[in-house]
Amino acid sequence: MSEENSAPEDAKVRLTIDGLEIEAEPGQMLLQAALDNGVEIPHYCYHPKLSIDGSCRMCQVKVEGGRKLAISCNEPVRDGMVVDTKCDEVKQARQGVMELLLVNHPLDCPICDQAGECFLQDYSHGYGRDHARTTAPRRKGVKRSPIGEHVVFDQERCILCRRCVRFTQEITETDELRVFGIGDHSHIGTLPDAPLNNDYSVNVADICPVGALLSSDFHHKRRVWFLEDTPSVCPSCSKGCNVNLGVFKNEIQRMVPRRNDEVNDTWMCDHGRLRYAFTSNETRIKQARVRDESGELVDTPFRLAIETAAEQLRGTVDAPESFGVIASAHLTNEESFLLADLCNAQISAAHVVLPVIRGEADGFLIQEEKAANANGARRMGIEERGGGVQDLAAAIEAGTVRTLLVFGGDALEVSGGEELLASLPKLESLILVAPNETDFRDHASVLIPGATFAEKDGSFTNGEDRVQWITRGLNLPEGVETEGATLTRIGAMLKNSKPEAFDAIAVLNKIAAAVPEFAHINQADLGAEGLVCGIPAPSEPAPETTDATVSGEA
Amino acid sequence: MATNVVTIDREKYRKAAGPFALRAFLSGFRVTVGHFVGNLVGWIRGKPTVATVMFPEEHLAKPPAFRGMPVLVEMDNGKERCVACGLCEWACPVNCIHIEPGETTDEVERYPQVFDIEMSRCMYCGLCEEACPEEAIVMSDRIEISAFTRAGTLWTKEDLLTPANQLSRRLEHIRRDYDRR
Repeated sequence: MSEENSAPEDAKVRLTIDGLEIEAEPGQMLLQAALDNGVEIPHYCYHPKLSIDGSCRMCQVKVEGGRKLAISCNEPVRDGMVVDTKCDEVKQARQGVMELLLVNHPLDCPICDQAGECFLQDYSHGYGRDHARTTAPRRKGVKRSPIGEHVVFDQERCILCRRCVRFTQEITETDELRVFGIGDHSHIGTLPDAPLNNDYSVNVADICPVGALLSSDFHHKRRVWFLEDTPSVCPSCSKGCNVNLGVFKNEIQRMVPRRNDEVNDTWMCDHGRLRYAFTSNETRIKQARVRDESGELVDTPFRLAIETAAEQLRGTVDAPESFGVIASAHLTNEESFLLADLCNAQISAAHVVLPVIRGEADGFLIQEEKAANANGARRMGIEERGGGVQDLAAAIEAGTVRTLLVFGGDALEVSGGEELLASLPKLESLILVAPNETDFRDHASVLIPGATFAEKDGSFTNGEDRVQWITRGLNLPEGVETEGATLTRIGAMLKNSKPEAFDAIAVLNKIAAAVPEFAHINQADLGAEGLVCGIPAPSEPAPETTDATVSGEA
Repeated sequence: MATNVVTIDREKYRKAAGPFALRAFLSGFRVTVGHFVGNLVGWIRGKPTVATVMFPEEHLAKPPAFRGMPVLVEMDNGKERCVACGLCEWACPVNCIHIEPGETTDEVERYPQVFDIEMSRCMYCGLCEEACPEEAIVMSDRIEISAFTRAGTLWTKEDLLTPANQLSRRLEHIRRDYDRR
């Protein structure tokens, strides 16, 4: 029937929800179609990236002509369908579901980490009763049991939606979580010798609609309503998973994945998620220092340290063969662009090294390159020159390279790092720009504090050529500026011109003008999904490709 | 130039007020002398009739609805009732509450490692008490916040902990008050 009604050129299905006419993709489920069109239908077990379970019964709606209420998560859209999500029958059904879910749910919202972003809280308020009719004592269960290395399980709070079970079955395919027992005795658990220890385990805490599965890292750390969500990109590998930084009082409290169907769906790995302490722990460099005649690093005002660095670099303008640069794959595209300008155009450095720490890839999210922007740095024109880290160490040892400009400490952790560290005393000047303490510090003539990914605006290009915008969530210490500003100042001093203020958006526009692959990229168009860089094929321009895939996602 | 300027001949008024001023002085002085004699007699009899409370040695008994400084309720086992849920911190309109939650092995797994109130900033609105789901923070009848340094007006958890039996009148009051709504 639907085939006859729909016009052949129109592949969309038309239906009515609460009097609102909407269009949906054929084969789409009613719940997703409603959510896409801004109609709220409460649901627990449905997750767009997991298979359909239909166990919570919360998404029941009345479909005209149906004998009984239908669960909208498993009801394919049909042409001419008329759906009511607000009638008394539906309200009563939801209230009944809520009441049964809450029969055994403990009243420990004040100590529950999920409180504030809890579906059970929200729906209880929106669709439940305002009081309990049962007087029987609530069922007791295991509380705060460490079900895995990074996950805490509270059995009393579980509503058995089985999202977590489906996650370990379908996404990680590790099958740690199962439902044990039947009927009223069913509960989520693991087998005795197989705890929930996989690389993606904390995602179950994200998808848990209640506070049953919690991240042990965030356990009892901070109430979620105090966190300011800052959209950013995970810096830990070249996948560039989209994240939200939960910031409180200028510290990252947690990192949670942000949905981007082009990159990470709604997932991220535990390694990236739990690696944020470096943004605010004691290894941060907060004070610019310059080495004085006695060989001690002395606290110096930030601007003065930059002037000293520029002075030392000026000596290499006429002797570029004595100048080496260690770039960083942690810098944004904009900063890499400025650095490329410095070490290619202004002083053509004899040695340019881009050290990238490598690890194992797993074929899903975790990538081999353990830095966010190695691809971006290369595309910005930072090309390895004069060999790798070992060759640079040899050149320093031989006395050819006498001035070294270093960003970050990654170079000491790749192969050849030990030789490099051993050769450093031979240098005349070593200018170190780093957000965190590194062994370069002991030999630095100028130490300039840098910024981590959370402290700057800019863009990263991931290993799949997707350019994504990161937003500043933390403030730098007083007087300290980002690498972008540092490079702008140094560049201006070498040219004896007045430094402009560093503006990442303006630099990205310059990149668009200078780098052909980035010609179509500007900050306003990056949005939440990012854009693929590259020279667009004539038949299929790159921006359109991304748009089509975004809207076509079911 | 200002238009509504009224010039007053003060000398004229002072002359006219002469005899009335004396009468006003005498009537006021009668009140003073009356209190003095009354207090003297009361003091000699051992039953002071004085209206003045000798603060800070003496305190007025305050009604249970009085909102003094917010304090933390201490249970019989010496621990705070607070579970560091953060609702008072959120409700506080002047942001004078700072809580660092921590985890314990007790049955209620959460407790405040740090619970600070900047008393010099507190405005005694009582919203923290109203927000509290555990009856853990209540408005006491204490009113003395003065300190020799600013740091002295920052009250830590140890300063704030008050045994529940000292707060029973207020606890009863808020139960009655909130149940009525």
